[in-house]
Amino acid sequence: MGKELAVMMLSWEFPPRVIGGISPHIYNLSRNLVKNGVKVHVVTCDFPGSPAHETLEGVEVHRIDSYQNPAPDFATWVYLMNVNMQKEAAAIAHGLNDEIDIFHAHDWLVATAGIGLKHVFRKPFFATMHSTEIGRRNGIHTDYERMIHETEAWLTYEAWKIICCSDYMISHVRWAFGLPPDKLIKVPNGVNLEAYSNKEKEYLSKLRNRFALPEEKIVLFVGRLVHEKGAQVLVSAVPRVLDKVNAKFIIVGNGYMKDQLSDLARGMGVSHKVIFTGFLDDATLRGLQQCADVSVVPSLFEPFGIVALEAMAAGSPVVVSDTGGLSEIVDHDVDGVKIYPGSPESLSWGITRVLTDEEYARHLKANAHKKVEEKYNWNTIAQQTKAVYEAVLNEHSKSFWAQKS
Amino acid sequence: MKSLAAQLARNNEKTWVVTYHDFLTGEQQEPDGVKISRVSNPVHTHIGVLTWVLTLNQEVERAAANIYYGSNQKVDIIDVHDWHFIPAAVTLKKALAVPFVYSVESLEEHRSHGANSPFNMSIKSLEWLGTYEAEKLLVKSEWMRDEIVRIYKVPQEKIKVISTESPNWIKEILEVYTYSSTGGMLWAKN
Repeated sequence: MGKELAVMMLSWEFPPRVIGGISPHIYNLSRNLVKNGVKVHVVTCDFPGSPAHETLEGVEVHRIDSYQNPAPDFATWVYLMNVNMQKEAAAIAHGLNDEIDIFHAHDWLVATAGIGLKHVFRKPFFATMHSTEIGRRNGIHTDYERMIHETEAWLTYEAWKIICCSDYMISHVRWAFGLPPDKLIKVPNGVNLEAYSNKEKEYLSKLRNRFALPEEKIVLFVGRLVHEKGAQVLVSAVPRVLDKVNAKFIIVGNGYMKDQLSDLARGMGVSHKVIFTGFLDDATLRGLQQCADVSVVPSLFEPFGIVALEAMAAGSPVVVSDTGGLSEIVDHDVDGVKIYPGSPESLSWGITRVLTDEEYARHLKANAHKKVEEKYNWNTIAQQTKAVYEAVLNEHSKSFWAQKS
Repeated sequence: MKSLAAQLARNNEKTWVVTYHDFLTGEQQEPDGVKISRVSNPVHTHIGVLTWVLTLNQEVERAAANIYYGSNQKVDIIDVHDWHFIPAAVTLKKALAVPFVYSVESLEEHRSHGANSPFNMSIKSLEWLGTYEAEKLLVKSEWMRDEIVRIYKVPQEKIKVISTESPNWIKEILEVYTYSSTGGMLWAKN
């Protein structure tokens, strides 16, 4: 192939628009693909104050009118936004004179736009499944949920290959949509180590003092306050931990369970030891992760568990549920502690184990950092992704679609 | 639709109809020479007509793209009837440089008696998109032409009134097709 490989990614979020984990994922993946000689166009929703087109670290970012009129409901808005996204992406790809080799959609939120582009341009189409409706909702209960589930099924059907971030997610997606095994490829999520390097000691100790007393250890939870993330398990574990160690529990994030969780803390008489910070800015969050004496990820459902990797990169020992992607990220007693999902007893055991044995904590931290550096760095992940693209392009070149008629 | 497609075929214009059917999907040739490609919706469960229509558009695009590539990229014009497949028509225009005319049979403003809920507005936004992106609009009466001018602020000369009562209606429609596929200089095929 003479020219460089060119991919068009579709995503409903890209910085500065950050709603969940897809936005940082695409930011890091796309700029590392660029570093590896791939031309990347990202087509994403608009954001106040951000230009319609810009080149960001070599990535061509196109922000489309995300359908600003009132829509009847979220799902209908998604499909209407996809009309605009497909229209704009088609115009961009046409303007590039057949330069785009691959279309790559992230989650059902851009499914219809991606599927249409695949057929009108007859190019290979990739889908990354970051999550599923059936997993998020722990089953399908309404027509609304089923519609999204079937849209996801259609997306996986149309995709040449489906990328998932863990073995757990691969088996979950296979089960949810009845897919053949050779259609699914594991490429892990990555973590940006630079975000945690060169932080000044003074800044960190000031930050620490904002949240905890000097004699208190910091136990950190970062995540949406929804059932599947398991913050309720942590709050229930607080008294047992306090029996052994003096600690402050910092819970970062928002969600529908916030009031319920603070009521729970008050009811247990530990509200002076639990802080709900709400959503924090990036710098404060990264700093806190570096200050934490232990980071906990007590999820009940977790396709990957990026927050555990972030803690490992930040140099905080981790205690995680032995479930989903977390089971694959952490080796028990080697680079973290695994606990039984949903069990406050088990969680408090894990937390006190780390907080009461400094030598053990140091050993976990060192191994964790090494693992992140070797296995979960974005450069390696971009290279893996590029290799998957190239393999599929090779298959595509032998198909009748490559002849375009 | 049936009579228009048959008349076009009789005039030796290669005519494809892309439409919906629940289960009789695929391509088929009618005795009158018209070829039909029917698609169904891959998403079976819906919460309303909007989500149903919006997910059907990708199948319309797939069928249209198959016709386009199957006929050596020689599709001159797309005629889209009402709002349902405007998204497909717009994408095909942007991606493949095939222009379209928009045949307006009825408008959401009249169907919903001026209701302006988010649901109605969504449909109106698709109708507007059609009037904006089409080379020409085809209507059957002067009243409809004036309503489109009033509601969507479309220049009157963009709308052609062709009564199906007229003895020359097929000839007039063919003139609009020819004008739209060649006159739109922006979309000259490369």
